[in-house]
Amino acid sequence: MKINNKVIVPATALLILTLMGSCKKAFLEPKPLSFYTPEATFNTVDGLKSSLIACERNLRYEWFGDGAPIITQNIFSEVAVEGTTDKSGPAQDLNLLITPTANLNSTDWNRIGWYWTEGYKGIKYANTAITYIDLPQWKTEEEKNVVLGAAYFHRAYRYYMLTNEFGDIPAIMKELTTPKVDFYSVKREVILQKMKEDLEFAEQWVPVKAAGGEVTKGAVSHLLTKVNLALGKFDDAIASATRVIDDGVHALMTARFGIDAGNATKNVIWDLHRPLNKAAAANTEALMLVIDRDGYMNVGDFDGGGSTMRQAVPFWFSNINTPTGNKGTTDALKKNQSQMDFDQATDYGRGIGRCRGTWYSTHMIWTDPNDLRHAPGNWMRMEDLVYNNYTLKDPQINDPYYGKKLQKYNSNGGILCTDTIRSWFDWPHYKVYIPDIQNATPSGGHTDWYVFRLAETYLLRAEAYYWKDQNDLAAADINKVRERAGAQPITAGDVNIGTILDERARELYYEEPRKVELTRIAYIFAMTGKAAYNGKTYTLANFSKDNFFYDRIMEKTEFYNKGVTTNHGDKYTISPYHVLWPVPQLTINNNVSGVINQNEGYDGFQNNVPPLTEIPAE
Amino acid sequence: MMKKSLHRFLLLLCFFAGIWGNAIAQNVTVSGRVTSAERPEGIAGVSVIVEGTTNGATTDDQGRFKISNVARNAKLVFSSVGFKSQTIAVGNRTTIDISMETEASSLDQVVVIGYGTTKKKDLTGAVSSVKATQLENEHPASVQDILRANVPGLNVGFATSAKGDASLQVRGKNTLNAGSSPLIVMDGIIYYGALADINPNDIETVDVLKDASSAAVYGAKAASGVIQITTKKGKSGKPVINVNSSVGVATMSVNEQVYNPDDFLNVWRRYGKYSTNINAQPYRFDDPRTLPSGVSVEEWLTYDNSSPTADPVTVWLTRLNVQPVEIANYKKGQSINWYDMMFRNGIRQDYNVSLSGKKEGINYYWSLGYMNNQGPIKGDEFNVARSRLNVDAKVTNFLSVGMNTQFSIRDESSIPVDWTLITANSPWGSFYTDDSTKLRYIPNDEASGGRNPFGVPTYTNRLKKYYELNTSLYAKVSLPFGIKYQANFTPRFEWYNYFNGESSQWQDWAGIGGRGTRENRNIYQWQIDNLLTWGKDFGKDHHIDVTMLANAEKFHVWRNKVVATGFQPSDILSYHNLGAATQVVACNSCAYSDEGDAVQLGDEESTADALMARLFYSYKSRYMLTLTVRRDGYSAFGQSNPRATFPSAAFGWVFSDESFMQNSWLNYGKLRVSYGLNGNRDIGRYVALADLQTGKYLHIVNGAVTQVSQLYVNNMQNKLLKWETTTAFNLGLDFSVFNNRLDGSIDVYKSKTNDLLVKRSLPDVTGFDLVWDNLGQVDNKGIEIALNSKNIQHPNFTWNTSVNFSLNRNKIVHLYGAMEDVIDTNGNVIGQREKNDKGNKWFIGQPLDVIWDQRVLGIWQSKEKADAGKYGVYPGDFKIKDVNNDGKYTDDDREFLGYTEPRFRWTLRNEFTFFKNFTFSFLMYSYWGQSTAFNQAKNRSNAFPDRVNSYVFPFWTEENPINDYARLFSSDGSATYSVYKKRSFIRLDNVALAYSLPPSLLNRVHVQDLKFYFTIKNAGVYAPDWNFWDPEWASGGSPGPTPRIYTLGINLTL
Repeated sequence: MKINNKVIVPATALLILTLMGSCKKAFLEPKPLSFYTPEATFNTVDGLKSSLIACERNLRYEWFGDGAPIITQNIFSEVAVEGTTDKSGPAQDLNLLITPTANLNSTDWNRIGWYWTEGYKGIKYANTAITYIDLPQWKTEEEKNVVLGAAYFHRAYRYYMLTNEFGDIPAIMKELTTPKVDFYSVKREVILQKMKEDLEFAEQWVPVKAAGGEVTKGAVSHLLTKVNLALGKFDDAIASATRVIDDGVHALMTARFGIDAGNATKNVIWDLHRPLNKAAAANTEALMLVIDRDGYMNVGDFDGGGSTMRQAVPFWFSNINTPTGNKGTTDALKKNQSQMDFDQATDYGRGIGRCRGTWYSTHMIWTDPNDLRHAPGNWMRMEDLVYNNYTLKDPQINDPYYGKKLQKYNSNGGILCTDTIRSWFDWPHYKVYIPDIQNATPSGGHTDWYVFRLAETYLLRAEAYYWKDQNDLAAADINKVRERAGAQPITAGDVNIGTILDERARELYYEEPRKVELTRIAYIFAMTGKAAYNGKTYTLANFSKDNFFYDRIMEKTEFYNKGVTTNHGDKYTISPYHVLWPVPQLTINNNVSGVINQNEGYDGFQNNVPPLTEIPAE
Repeated sequence: MMKKSLHRFLLLLCFFAGIWGNAIAQNVTVSGRVTSAERPEGIAGVSVIVEGTTNGATTDDQGRFKISNVARNAKLVFSSVGFKSQTIAVGNRTTIDISMETEASSLDQVVVIGYGTTKKKDLTGAVSSVKATQLENEHPASVQDILRANVPGLNVGFATSAKGDASLQVRGKNTLNAGSSPLIVMDGIIYYGALADINPNDIETVDVLKDASSAAVYGAKAASGVIQITTKKGKSGKPVINVNSSVGVATMSVNEQVYNPDDFLNVWRRYGKYSTNINAQPYRFDDPRTLPSGVSVEEWLTYDNSSPTADPVTVWLTRLNVQPVEIANYKKGQSINWYDMMFRNGIRQDYNVSLSGKKEGINYYWSLGYMNNQGPIKGDEFNVARSRLNVDAKVTNFLSVGMNTQFSIRDESSIPVDWTLITANSPWGSFYTDDSTKLRYIPNDEASGGRNPFGVPTYTNRLKKYYELNTSLYAKVSLPFGIKYQANFTPRFEWYNYFNGESSQWQDWAGIGGRGTRENRNIYQWQIDNLLTWGKDFGKDHHIDVTMLANAEKFHVWRNKVVATGFQPSDILSYHNLGAATQVVACNSCAYSDEGDAVQLGDEESTADALMARLFYSYKSRYMLTLTVRRDGYSAFGQSNPRATFPSAAFGWVFSDESFMQNSWLNYGKLRVSYGLNGNRDIGRYVALADLQTGKYLHIVNGAVTQVSQLYVNNMQNKLLKWETTTAFNLGLDFSVFNNRLDGSIDVYKSKTNDLLVKRSLPDVTGFDLVWDNLGQVDNKGIEIALNSKNIQHPNFTWNTSVNFSLNRNKIVHLYGAMEDVIDTNGNVIGQREKNDKGNKWFIGQPLDVIWDQRVLGIWQSKEKADAGKYGVYPGDFKIKDVNNDGKYTDDDREFLGYTEPRFRWTLRNEFTFFKNFTFSFLMYSYWGQSTAFNQAKNRSNAFPDRVNSYVFPFWTEENPINDYARLFSSDGSATYSVYKKRSFIRLDNVALAYSLPPSLLNRVHVQDLKFYFTIKNAGVYAPDWNFWDPEWASGGSPGPTPRIYTLGINLTL
């Protein structure tokens, strides 16, 4: 019995432990069931191509949604300002609000941080394809290089944007799989040079024609033109732009086409910007598009749509009285309010005036009366709207101005709009009008959007000619764009950087990243020392204190240069150092073992170290 | 046997005495002897009183007493500290010998210690017990209610919804990003179900394991403490039926007023317009009917070039940005009281019945309960039907089998009105459309003026139900030599349905043609425990208990979600026919209805296992030692570190049993010391893996739209991820003094958590925001005091008090190990220190809850206009401290401004019994010293101040130059800061009064017990600094309506 005691207890314990034998290590291996893992995915061609789709999808955001990032590009230029006048916070007093610790990624404030964060996200997606490019079994070398070239395009697109927003920045050329917190900034020119090489490779492989939304050879050459310009390589820029213009596939649209082609009251400028025409086979002008369509909610669309009408249309339904003294306008919709005779919210959009065009972009550049881009039907003036507040019909009010066109002043010259910043400005209806069938308030629905189109290629080549003092050739390229719009041609004597910027503003408003292009041009002035039309020359050494970017804005806008103050008391200010945006402080703080440089003019600049002159090997 | 018969005889006597008591009126002298099982020699000092008189005596050394002049129909009340009081009818007797029952001195209470039980006096760890049955009078509506304020060191969150869910946290926060909810163990088995599925009426006791040693048996899951729930069992031979039902009303305990219709115009909008129109003419926004004599209406009309013939009131209202429909309503004098429309008195009902008994080896307890609660917010409803069946059958003398099963159906379909729209909606809006057929989408027709809060509940059709089955099946085998073997199999099932139909009748969903969502989630989870226990006495003085466990578990979840839009021909079938939709999307990685905003990954699976051994040794019940070791495995760490080991040791010493400590005032004293490791594995199942996020995008191929899929690496992998471990030291003192009148315990602890599971911020240039990693060290220390005192022990009046106090301090000791130079004022490097993580606001040497922000100094006043201007702001805006006086606001201007968690907490409970039948109790608790952002002081809480309403707060004007609230629509300038306010409070949490009918009366109708109770929950709160709703709110939530609940209940036992 005594022995048994000694045997049974351990034996039982052993038995239990043996039962536990099932608990081998395999039992504890994590088993992902519903998601893909990199190892099991990027070894196929389709898997790797999917990371390019992530790049394309990430690209779309720039022009879409509430407080779209493109607005921040516009308000850091001479074409527009932030028009939200009822609170502090929106980027108006830039001297006060644009700091490294401020909220830099908010639909209400500004989207500087979006360009930073999403720029590097796009780089990550592209780096995935580049890093794993040799994993799949490719049928041909060409098949592989098409994908690699497209990935190079996407990476170069982000670095082109980032270097003209933030200057010297970290350069990451590989996918990261372990935590890294020791980044250093790399000189802008070094990164751009690498992008030039990548794009020149991509140009050889990416096909001329691709699905709408995919990278085309034309887009690669177009971007390469921008990079060449940024590097001051003007001959290369002319060559790369010419490769697009002469590719035999692309041409400016000069004839009516697409869904409204049969509508005689419209014209080719209108056609060019219809949602379904941008990716149409007949459209030979599109080089690169982002795609968004109705009917793909949560399965491919941009949630809520473009929101262009909300952003870029004035807050016209508020702050405007009839000369009789009644509230003149309303955003009520016909479908909700049977009394509505003039449903202007549906017809033009319920704008909130966030992206408020300046006098420069709404008046100064429109000198040609025949310019279709400013023609009635395409362009909207406030006086084209009517007093639509249905309560004006009320027998007790019976306002005679009901249904009449808006007027800014009464017969005595008294102003009838109490907030002319937010509620009274003209806008390019042909571009931002996107029928909205989804949202409860018409904000601008789903539409494809141009990333690059040939009209800009002409203007880029014109700019390259300008830098090379070949103004006759520059004028010829500018006139290609002008003539299509029905405007009078200009002469070589008219050409200067201002002419080119004016034409860009006419043609590319709400399409081009205006701040990036202005900064790029400011860099070229500083690099070349070429005298600008204002008689000034600039240097790189003094870049953040004295540059063309600032001088151009102060010359043209009616806000930053005049000390305009909103009703809420916020003053429009800007400084030369805004030529480069602040690197978000959080990024600098999280980079605990390295130094990411801050730009001059912002707190933290004093901690900078000299930027790297080579891209670090990973 | 003899004693039992006597007892029955006495009871019988009582019965007769009750009936015929009045008939017999003849005074006698009664004598007798009082003994107990433990003290057959007699108990001295027992008070014997004739009920309802002052006539009485005290027993002598042998327990004898004698009282004269006792009426035949009188009753004698025997009472003594440490014994249960007894009441005996005299009847025909002159000699009454009784045996007193020891009152379960808290030291003899059985405490659940995890995979076993022990007596409180044998405990070596820090364990707090709550006897739920003693709280019945207070009508706890949830497990959390039972625990709230009854366990020092356990923080129970505040629940405001009808469901009443609240968070739990033991001994403060010791983790940065991993979960910190304690482990729930029910009837000895780890419980992964919802707390709301546990009927508080089924609970017998709750034990909270707080220190490392006691929790160590649960190893990897125990770092945040363990809460052990023991449900009821059958007790008596006869089947007992208990009915416990109550009805109640939930009212608004605090009101937060919004501007009334007149002040909305004359105060809010008027001053609001002046502050957003800095150049406005005087009186421009004033009511033209009240202009001062110097300003004519004609002149006033010219301010914005209004026609001289215009109606001045209309002009005025238009200037205030009041919309046409509001103007029309104003002229008709029709306003809406949104407040009264949104809040109500909610009805609460709770019905429970249970059947229990114990007979011939079978012990059973079966309960059914139905609870239906309404909250004070209109539409907030919750109902749950719960049933529990506990059966234990002793099959042979070596085998017993049993089952504990709990089934519940939880209905959370209700859609409360969005009460936050209280500040968005104008009192002058219209509720219905002009033709009065439908709710008006936006009551004032202005798109940003606030949606109709009743729209979503009215036009949504929702079914949201949980069906949960938690079962544990067990068999216990007695093996030779005192070895016991127990096997548990514990499956858990959850079936969750979320069906939601959003009608195209409502504008939100008109554009998409209505939307139907169907979501299902099934969870199946099992655990297997193999448990061996062996206990033996060696000689008189040595006792050993051995416990060994082998455990394995597996979790599965399967999720489906389908979203359909564009119904043809109509969406009147709501979610019942998704086939009628033109677009149907099946969603894999998406946000699910009850799992927050985080994207969930469809199906998931995880596995874990454990081995545990515990040795308990005691010598003379005076020196006790517990040694535990547990080895855990978990699949989330499965790539490189699947397993970890957690040892612990604890020692207890009953010093009051030592001869040198024998003295009259100390009845009991024990010192406990424990030290050990616990783990935390509370992270997502797959956070260590790189996952590819999928999503759809569109291409146009030959003019046709084609869907394509993107893939990108969403989460950075970390193959080396491992357990977070907490090493804790606990020193405890248990005592009982002054004839057991005062007992309590004091625990001090210090813990160190290493390898914290953190979402480590990465520079976003990596394309990743964070990676899950093990980093750093956080230390916690604290003290917990629990005191119970029997202040008055009189037969007709007792008064007991218990007080708890707890305090916890934590500190980040170490983070990522990145160093930076320390520079003195001359710019010389004088050393190195570890870098803080400013991004997460984690600072070496500071607690996790420290507030690091720019300091508010007050309000810029009019005479400081020039100084304010230097910072880009105006008088009336907050003045922020510029620490380094560089004229800019940067991170260098941030300071440590306080703490968001209470600095200490206390609770106070008082219980009174009057005339034996009335019980009255009240409970208070207090959290002190915590600060919270109070940005309402900036007076621009709403996005569109000129289009919405607001709460009524003071605001700065030139005429009202206050220093703590800004002007309306103030500006922050370039500062980024919050205004902080202290949120300390004392709450009178529960007031309860109960009346039990006297047994004499009940016996006649064969009722064992009948009790009525009335409680007020959240009876009042005192907060000296805080004045925005209640100072306490649901964790993770924000200030809002909180209920005060009045309940009337009945508890009947047959």
